[in-house]
Amino acid sequence: MEKLKLLLLAFFIGFSINSWAQKTQVSGVVLDEQNMPLPAANVLESGTNNGVGTDAEGKFKISISNKSAVLIVSFVGYVEQRVKVDGSKSNYSIKLVSSATGLEQVVVVGYGKGSRKNLTTAVSSVKADQLNNGVISDVGQLLQGKVAGLNVSASGDPTKASSVVLRGASTLNSSQGPFYVVDGIPGVDISIIAPEDIVTIDVLKDAAATAIYGNRAANGVIMVTTKRGNKDKTQISYSNYFGIENVSNQLDMMNSDQLRAFTTKNNLNFTPENDKGANTDWQKEILRGNGALSSSHNLSMSGGGEHGNYFASVTSISKEGVLLGSKFSRVIAHLAVEQYAIDDKVKFGLNVTNSNSIYNNVPQRNTALLQAVNHLPVSPVRNADGSYFENFIQTGYFNPVALINHGDDDTKTNNFVGSFTTEVKLPFGFSYNLNLSYQQLNSLHGEFYDSYYAKYNSANFYNNPDPPQVHSLMNFGVNGSALRNSYQNTNTIIESFLNWDKTFGNHKIKAVVGYSWQEDVLGDGFQATNTNFPVDDVSYNNLALGNYGSVSGYRVDFGDSRAYQKKRLISEFARVNYNYNDKYLLQGSIRRDGGSVFGTNNQWGYFPSVGGAWRIDKEGFMQNQKIFTDLKFRASYGETGNSSGFNAYTAQFISGSLGTFYYNGQQIGAYGPNQAANPDLNWEKTATTNLGVDFTILKGKLSGSVDVYDKQTTDMIFNYAVNPVLVPVGTIVANGGNMSNRGIEVALNATPVKTKNFSWSTNFNYSHNENIITKLKNPYFIGGDSIRRVSPEGGGQTGSTLQIFKEGKPLGQFFTLQYAGKNSAGVSQYVAKDGSLTTTPAIGVDYHYAGSAQPKFLLGWDNNFTYKKFDLNIFFRGVFGNKIFNATRADLFRPSTAMTTNILVDAANESPNDLNAYKYSTRFIEDGSYIRLDNLTLGYDFGSVGKYIKKIRIYETVNNLFVITKYSGIDPEVEQGGTAPGVDSNNFYPKTRTFLFGLNVIF
Amino acid sequence: MKKISKYLGLPILMVVLLWSCENLDVPITTQLTPEVFPQNSTQYIQTTGPVYAAFRGDFAFSWWWTQSLTTDEAIMPARGGNWFDNRNYIAMHYHDWTADNGIVSSLWDWSSRVIGTSNQAISILNESMPEGAEKATTISELKTMRAISYFMMMDSYGNVPLDTLYGDFSSHAKSDRKVVFEFIEKELKKAIPNLNPASGITTYGRPNKQTANALLAKMYLNAEVYTGTQRYNDCVAACDAVISSGLYAVEPRTTYLQMFYPNNGPQMKEFIFAVPFDPAATTVGFNGQMYHARYDVPRSERAKFGLPFTPSAPRSTLPEFYANFNDANDIRNKQWLTGLQFLNDGVTPVKVTTTKKGYDQFYTGSDGGASYTYQVDLTPNIVLRQNETLFDCGNDEIAWNMGYRNVKFYPDATSTSRNQNNDVPFLRYSDVLLMKAEAILRGGNATLGHTALSLVNMVRDNRTTTAPWTSVTLEDLYKERSREFTWEAWHRNDMIRFGKYEGQWGFKTNTDTYRRIFPIPTNARVLNPALTQNPGYPQ
Repeated sequence: MEKLKLLLLAFFIGFSINSWAQKTQVSGVVLDEQNMPLPAANVLESGTNNGVGTDAEGKFKISISNKSAVLIVSFVGYVEQRVKVDGSKSNYSIKLVSSATGLEQVVVVGYGKGSRKNLTTAVSSVKADQLNNGVISDVGQLLQGKVAGLNVSASGDPTKASSVVLRGASTLNSSQGPFYVVDGIPGVDISIIAPEDIVTIDVLKDAAATAIYGNRAANGVIMVTTKRGNKDKTQISYSNYFGIENVSNQLDMMNSDQLRAFTTKNNLNFTPENDKGANTDWQKEILRGNGALSSSHNLSMSGGGEHGNYFASVTSISKEGVLLGSKFSRVIAHLAVEQYAIDDKVKFGLNVTNSNSIYNNVPQRNTALLQAVNHLPVSPVRNADGSYFENFIQTGYFNPVALINHGDDDTKTNNFVGSFTTEVKLPFGFSYNLNLSYQQLNSLHGEFYDSYYAKYNSANFYNNPDPPQVHSLMNFGVNGSALRNSYQNTNTIIESFLNWDKTFGNHKIKAVVGYSWQEDVLGDGFQATNTNFPVDDVSYNNLALGNYGSVSGYRVDFGDSRAYQKKRLISEFARVNYNYNDKYLLQGSIRRDGGSVFGTNNQWGYFPSVGGAWRIDKEGFMQNQKIFTDLKFRASYGETGNSSGFNAYTAQFISGSLGTFYYNGQQIGAYGPNQAANPDLNWEKTATTNLGVDFTILKGKLSGSVDVYDKQTTDMIFNYAVNPVLVPVGTIVANGGNMSNRGIEVALNATPVKTKNFSWSTNFNYSHNENIITKLKNPYFIGGDSIRRVSPEGGGQTGSTLQIFKEGKPLGQFFTLQYAGKNSAGVSQYVAKDGSLTTTPAIGVDYHYAGSAQPKFLLGWDNNFTYKKFDLNIFFRGVFGNKIFNATRADLFRPSTAMTTNILVDAANESPNDLNAYKYSTRFIEDGSYIRLDNLTLGYDFGSVGKYIKKIRIYETVNNLFVITKYSGIDPEVEQGGTAPGVDSNNFYPKTRTFLFGLNVIF
Repeated sequence: MKKISKYLGLPILMVVLLWSCENLDVPITTQLTPEVFPQNSTQYIQTTGPVYAAFRGDFAFSWWWTQSLTTDEAIMPARGGNWFDNRNYIAMHYHDWTADNGIVSSLWDWSSRVIGTSNQAISILNESMPEGAEKATTISELKTMRAISYFMMMDSYGNVPLDTLYGDFSSHAKSDRKVVFEFIEKELKKAIPNLNPASGITTYGRPNKQTANALLAKMYLNAEVYTGTQRYNDCVAACDAVISSGLYAVEPRTTYLQMFYPNNGPQMKEFIFAVPFDPAATTVGFNGQMYHARYDVPRSERAKFGLPFTPSAPRSTLPEFYANFNDANDIRNKQWLTGLQFLNDGVTPVKVTTTKKGYDQFYTGSDGGASYTYQVDLTPNIVLRQNETLFDCGNDEIAWNMGYRNVKFYPDATSTSRNQNNDVPFLRYSDVLLMKAEAILRGGNATLGHTALSLVNMVRDNRTTTAPWTSVTLEDLYKERSREFTWEAWHRNDMIRFGKYEGQWGFKTNTDTYRRIFPIPTNARVLNPALTQNPGYPQ
């Protein structure tokens, strides 16, 4: 450290004796092969970060510091041009030749940028125009299917973020998502970014690329770059869309006639309380009548002067859910200002984003969805007198429409991110950055269940958690019950780093050293509940009106006593890139990370990486061949860590509330250790070896890259069960297991046809990953080599589990009863542990391995056609070779209860005498492969219209036009992330199809 | 140039400052760290709380299931697949449980946790509490709680590991049942001088001196089962210690039933050690609740008992056990719901309207959907009409009315949930009197002028108006105990001691004597590989 300080000091002495260079203005136009102007092409002064983009006419102006500088002109899909500035000339016409490859673009890596062709690491970039179209408010969904190795699964529920798994799960912890870095700010909540404001997303895949983010990078790093203003160019753009979303698939439950035929055939009878002669489609009754509408507006303005630029945008998204009463709206305001000072040697940047969201959720949503599929079609929604139909004699049976209309469940969040950046250009190729950023998330949540809900207490109202876990009994107090909570999360980051970029003849060196300090405060807030309100009208808005004191046994729920967490992360990092004649490339980096969340014995660690690449096409012997225009081999190795997924104080010995006990006439608080301290708690370590090849052939018509990797995670953190007599809490968060992911990724880009009027370009990606848990044991606590888990709690199936963590098996290994058809009496039978057949199998004991949720491969296929001013995008994606446990189907496969709860049409030929019909078993494991036509967009570009409008484009998009699958559930796209992938449980949220119409205008 | 240095001076200064900042020490300000808790008398008491909250945990669940469903006292068949629950309850009845049985596993987990929690609290208080009488009493109370849990474990599983020190994270092998017995005996004897001598509100819910004596009596009475050696004189002595304390009395006939009502508590003169249940009590990490009405009250009688929920009512007794209630004058008959049911006024019949098929699922007439109203009539026998393998009575009114129901722990109409306010006794004064009577019948010396007969009649005089007994045999005493401690989770212990556990009742035919102790649960053996399986069970 001392050395670094000295070094820093030395730079400043050097800096102060150097004189400033003078500025030179250079302007020009960038054209393509047909001499058409190329808007938004990049013009960069070589060796600097000084760059501008071209305007709609392909024109640019750049002020350069070095009179004999080299301008690097680049544009996606074109071969980069280097133009030497001639002092006598100030206007240039630069022609770019199409390469149909993405090799030339600039890629954002941690604490710097690099040219794609000189990367030694595996990085996939997705430009704004390649991102998914649709009513999307989530970055994960924008990338779905676009990047090889990135497995994104989106829930049908619009308020739920999609889960993103990069190159296979590398942890048994709950948090598997990649680490997001937005405009250089690490750990930003990506929900604050308006999709329209994104320029590019770079997915850093191998550890050599991500190791610079140390103990947060094990699940990959995704770098998001948002728009910036251009100097001397004012632009206003507006875009909007209007969408309508309709249900494309729901579960196929019996209607009245079908169910009556079934009960008559099987000599069952409805009770008079239920049988009112109706024919209700309950699933339809909880939907909005005419589809859900959505709209989005984004207005941005950007521009700049001689010494600065700005970009400002405001985005408003409003989206109705398909379920009754559900709605989501968000307003994002974003401002990015850059100001140059001191002869443009210093650049200050201010970047402020505020995102305000309101979620109107469906109250007790999972229960309402469950009740909608369970309810008998012979019962009406409302009785003749207008009141809701209910039958409380039947426990666990509640009218889903009444549930929705008698409750409120709303969340408001405000998410603010501000950063102030300073970049100082120093002599000798040095530049220094100081970034300060602050992020604050406030959430205000309210739930209210009005006096009607108190009736539900009598009939055993269990909650219905998602993902599946043990259900608990709900109590709605009397005369309404309300819950309110408000929590704030903040994080403060100070980052400071020094870059050095220097060329000595054929030797180019880029280096960075830096320091990072981060402090997070989570869960700063409170929760309270009350009941017994005089009226229903005030909802959760006035807790003070309630009177819980007169309700016997009522307890105010103050929420999680461990909500508040404060943690600090401190890091130092360095990276060196060496480039010999653009032929041989080497990179090495190291990060030293410290985290307060770890055990006192293990707070600091090092994360190194090395990488190298050989651009064979630059070799002399390649100059005469005609096949390859580009050919590069890459190899890298790096180590990263994962430090998320557990409470900040997990490693410490602390006590908390353990309930109450009787003491001298009253119930007093009991306090004791509520977690097992683990002073040895350490981060998970993931080491990745990556080999890759990048190529361009057929004169740029086809390019691509192939990567193979081996990712080994050790010291996985898991909440291990331990002997309760030794550790009364019964579990300890500790390092133990290992996991292996090995895979291959192929990405191809091609332009098969390109004529003046018509072009077809296509991207194809394929990825295959093999995941195995290689070790599960924990060094401190012996445990077993396997853990049975995922318990959907279907009726009569308490204790049944669907999956197992087991050494030698993948995450998502199904482990369940093996269905062996029906016996002579028509009762489902199963293979017992000893191989015999049984109709009374024992949970856990008679279980067998039954396939896994891990897909064999993923595909994405994107096609862009242009014909004159029309453009057409057709995007397919698919997942293949995975199994899904359709627990939803099992739970609706109860012929013997058809007179009390509805069953699937598919169960029509089952007999009520088969009491085993519904048991979770291999009978309900299905092939989850699918291909989806995810996006179809047809656009028309009017080009410039009149004097003031530079560009107008209109388009129409259809999402989820069709899906080809053998899967019998609502949709084969079930959760692929988390630790229980591939389980379709309580998956009743309807799948939808969206049509949207949009407009982009640039003024 | 100076200007530039000025502009850059600040960030550079910050960097230098930060560079030297490698401080990861984030003080915890929102939790109870050892630095702030416990530090005074109130906090020491609060530190003992987790032990009592933990003990309350599964007392009304796995402890009850294992001690009652394995006997003729209670049965819990399935009804249309409901309560089949992976054969957990059925196995209790058939005596064919395996090491994977969920209830056997819960009982182990619960008693282990109470022991672990006790060890932990003892360790914290040993370090934080100043020496003195307060410390001696507090720690002796916790050690007695630990001894009770070890008693339950030793009684249920035989040989169990002795883990008595918090902080020793190595797994221990099992100790001989005799060694565990001696450990409990030694612990209780050491605790007695320090335990609080008072009864009533100040010690209610926590062990006092007589709790330890009464538990010693229970140990000595069963000593032959546990160790092979009879200790009847020791049993008599321990009972005498309780009797001589003068703190307790037998509840008179008029208030016997009230002893188990939702409003019972420290005023109960018979309770030596009871678990105070309270719907307002919270327990983190354990259940800590008592749900008897949920399991026992017929669904049709929700209104009669004013319950805020619809009970499930799968549980009943068997005719073999109900036969003990053959004295019409015995107040204890009133704890049962039998035959035709009436509302609390005694005359309005409890009626249910359903369909003909809803009443009888095997009805074959074409008018199965026709409405049918009947008066609820509870029948004594359990008949597996639907499926014998699945232990299933069927899912109709006939099935739901099978079996006589127990409402000793009277349904709590004041609770807003299933959780009841009734405290559940573990050791009662009448138990001490009957234990002493039994010890004398089994060869112990009569003391304090008591005889076996006088002791039994001391209880019976307060239960029935029928003339006192003139003689008493062990078989009489067994039946008296059955009547007196119904639903109090002592019947398994009694049946084993009286050699009746291998008898036949209900659908049970199993006579394996190794089933007097449960198998070591599979789960427990995963967490502690040093455990070996109990004899008789597959290794």
